Amino acid sequence: MGSRALLMLTNFNFKTTVSSFGSASNPFFLIKNNLRTRNFSTKTRSSLQPPDLPGLAETARISLAPNEVEEFAPKIGQVIDWFGQLQAVDLDNVEPAIRADTEGDNLREDAPQTFENKEALIASVPSYEEPYIKVPKVLNKE
Amino acid sequence: MASTLFRTIQIHPFLLYPTALFSRRNGVLYCTMKSSQTQTATQEKQQPPKVKVPQHALKKTVDKITRDYEAIIGIETHVQLSTLTKAFCSCPYNYGSQPNTSICPICMGLPGALPVLNSKVIEFAVKLGLALNCKLSLNSKFDRKQYFYPDLPKGYQISQFDIPIATGGYVDLDLPLEFGGGHRKFGITRVHIEEDAGKLLHSGNGDYSQVDLNRAGVPLLEIVSEPDMRTGIEAAEYAAELQRVVRYLGISNGNMQEGSLRCDVNVSIRPVGQSEFGTKVEIKNLNSFSSINRAIDFEISRQALLHSQGQSDQIVQETRLWEEGAQKTVTMRKKEGLSDYRYFPEPDLPEVILTPEYVDSISNSLPELPEAKRRRYEKMGLSMQDVLFLANDMNVAEYFDATLSSGADIKLAANWIMGDIAAYMKNEKLSINDIKLTPQELAELIASIKSGTISGKIGKEILSELLAKGGTVKGLIEEKDLIQIADPVEIGKMIDKVISENPKQLEQYRGGKTKLQGFFAGQVMKLSKGKANPGLLNKILLEKLNGQS
Repeated sequence: MGSRALLMLTNFNFKTTVSSFGSASNPFFLIKNNLRTRNFSTKTRSSLQPPDLPGLAETARISLAPNEVEEFAPKIGQVIDWFGQLQAVDLDNVEPAIRADTEGDNLREDAPQTFENKEALIASVPSYEEPYIKVPKVLNKE
Repeated sequence: MASTLFRTIQIHPFLLYPTALFSRRNGVLYCTMKSSQTQTATQEKQQPPKVKVPQHALKKTVDKITRDYEAIIGIETHVQLSTLTKAFCSCPYNYGSQPNTSICPICMGLPGALPVLNSKVIEFAVKLGLALNCKLSLNSKFDRKQYFYPDLPKGYQISQFDIPIATGGYVDLDLPLEFGGGHRKFGITRVHIEEDAGKLLHSGNGDYSQVDLNRAGVPLLEIVSEPDMRTGIEAAEYAAELQRVVRYLGISNGNMQEGSLRCDVNVSIRPVGQSEFGTKVEIKNLNSFSSINRAIDFEISRQALLHSQGQSDQIVQETRLWEEGAQKTVTMRKKEGLSDYRYFPEPDLPEVILTPEYVDSISNSLPELPEAKRRRYEKMGLSMQDVLFLANDMNVAEYFDATLSSGADIKLAANWIMGDIAAYMKNEKLSINDIKLTPQELAELIASIKSGTISGKIGKEILSELLAKGGTVKGLIEEKDLIQIADPVEIGKMIDKVISENPKQLEQYRGGKTKLQGFFAGQVMKLSKGKANPGLLNKILLEKLNGQS
């Protein structure tokens, strides 16, 4: 959960970049200039904005009471600042990478293999009614 | 202008649901875009007009309104890949298997389970990217698209966001002649890899929904078009061409009913001459080409009507569902701003690296694609109708090509395949791969008729036997003693016999009832068991009828 939360946060910072992608009217332009856009975002954001915590909690489907928001906001702000230190790294002479690892493909043959312990999988489903998983009624997204 | 239109609308309140208008056209559409076998399904598919209003008046009014607007249509297509296993785990996937049987910790999103990419997925994506004339990204990656929904066990979908595997392509197609014909080129914005979600079923009565995770993690390619289409027909033909391409490539069965090919359509309209786009509406639940066509045409006239009534503010950005029964679109959900999917690079999967050698080897292994086939057939001198029919189904095209390489005449081979053979396949509900007649024997049959060894009539008879039972043309001709009689003396003898047996008719003929020639020809043909050369028969018969007996 801890690492997941961090990812959420990094992602939050990433958001401004993301939405600038989204608003580009020509997606092709977006792809071609992707790497430059990244550099751009790294350089210009010298200080990071603290997140809108209630909004963040809602996106993560976590309920926070107002006092919890008050309690967490500075802590999360600290985490953001910690990430903010990365902004100081000079990347001018570094080739942009699309992934951190450089090893590349680790592919699998398209050969079927049945998972044996299916009973355990089904047993771990909180609400199951043969042959379906039962969930609260949903009709529309959002 | 607007007020005149408004008055017309008051008189015809049914205009709001101009269903009946489109039904007539659909019928034809259905047969052109479905596979060859359903050519004559037209009649059954026609919707009975639901409202008794003068159709002409109605149609004219709608045409008049829509003529002032231009529709902008873009399509997102999801193609389910026919790999044996899922995208990131080795679970087998078979459509229609028992719910929740093809699952494992990876596709169920259990903690600690790690995805490993199926190599076939990359291969299929590269094939499609090349077939759609795209630029391939030699380095791409996967991203997480996050949203909460019960059919998505992980809470995110593994997809590709800012670096899709293929971008900037196009697709060529020919519109059927019934719709005015013409060649079209539509842009492809991007193709990216992603995984499918599970299936969500809504039980009729209960207060719960049911989830089947067999489909969760099955590989998809999403194809995003440029907003290049202007009519329902163009959109439906675009989808039909994508279906042909994925089937030719062998990367998907392209079956819309099973959901292996799913199209979401974006439609907006603007007054002709205006450069900025109108508000776009997304339509879902389109599971046939004809529903794509009808839903779009419906949506265009719905939006045009609102515009013409000065109510264009009622066109809002939303997702609408096509209701097949009611033949209309209805609001599913209104969109408020862009969804925040919080994309970020998938940390559990490495970068996808394509080497130029790999891309070349796949490029060299691509089959001849529908567009290339159509252009080749066109150059052979076939009509566009023949071209579209033959190239529509890859197996039919292969059969046709094999018949030609056995030396058959181009036009005759096309005629036999599109005529008697197609009719047989339709009656027996068979595909061309199921029939017993080989392309080599079809070529032989055509040659035998052309050379005069057998008559065309006998050729048809042999054909039905070959289709059902197989065998060879030569064998059947010998076995049944069907060789055409082209000996004038022998034909003459038969004519003499018929004439002498029918003195009354001869008298009438010579008395001026020359129509009786047909009667005599029929009798001689019967006597020859259909084997007499018809040209020769008629020539000698005429001589004998007009000369001395």
